Amino acid sequence: MMTLVSGGAGSGKSAYAESLILRSAAAPRVYLATMQPWGEEGRQRVERHRRLRAGKGFFTVEQPLNLTEVELPQDSAVLLEDLSNLTANECFGGAGFARAEEHILKGVDTLRAQAGELVVVTNEIFSDGVTYPPETARYLDILARLNRLLAARADRVVEVAAGIPIFWKGEKP
Amino acid sequence: MRLIIGGAGQGKLSYALRTFQFAPADVAETFSAARTARVFARFHAAVRAALEAGEDPQRLTEKLLEANPDIVILCDEVGCGVIPVQREERVWRETVGRLCCDLAEQAESVERVFCGLPMRLK
Repeated sequence: MMTLVSGGAGSGKSAYAESLILRSAAAPRVYLATMQPWGEEGRQRVERHRRLRAGKGFFTVEQPLNLTEVELPQDSAVLLEDLSNLTANECFGGAGFARAEEHILKGVDTLRAQAGELVVVTNEIFSDGVTYPPETARYLDILARLNRLLAARADRVVEVAAGIPIFWKGEKP
Repeated sequence: MRLIIGGAGQGKLSYALRTFQFAPADVAETFSAARTARVFARFHAAVRAALEAGEDPQRLTEKLLEANPDIVILCDEVGCGVIPVQREERVWRETVGRLCCDLAEQAESVERVFCGLPMRLK
């Protein structure tokens, strides 16, 4: 089962995504963190989140790049957070703009093949009407395409607004 | 008339072409070309061009609907960012939002596309 969860900043999408993993029978619970922590404050924040999730039975894998390298126990419950961050990492510092889309798609397929439950968190950042510089516009274009491609693969697509899940595809679990 | 809205890059055009079985040649991107087209894509961009040319997009929209009452109009949602510093940008996103409200009121159907998936709002 694969679910794509999207929403704006502070929409409650992370908490909702986590709840899908917690209600799943798949195990172990793996948190794939894409964020590259910068500086002491970043490290402390990551450490705090890691402790919080450990209490819920997650073990955390830092994976800012190259999802294709991830090896998981068969039938794990995997929370990938998040696609917008991973795409930025790959565009600006990994596979590069030309290869990012294909590389990430391949990576997500690698996860799907191993996970019993896969939840991918992405971001809704496409409705601000701003004309961005070419590099940023290209990044947004790649992320939008990845969102559509993953939505097509997913069993469920959920937008979260004010903590409330809206089902664009699939049924409420 | 039918209205399809959604954020940038959500797949509105491919959804419209697939659903109504139109060809790329049926698609217009300007008010004048839209008079004889089946789909008016990037309505938000045509509104910007009209404002920049000193034309009234509301009047152009009314004229268009008189000439082509069955058109499918696709428009980006552009109002969910920080209020722009530049006046022209503020006027543009307000105008797009209000025109979408008017269009939605008159439309036979309103759909919103998100990650390539449609949801019927009206």
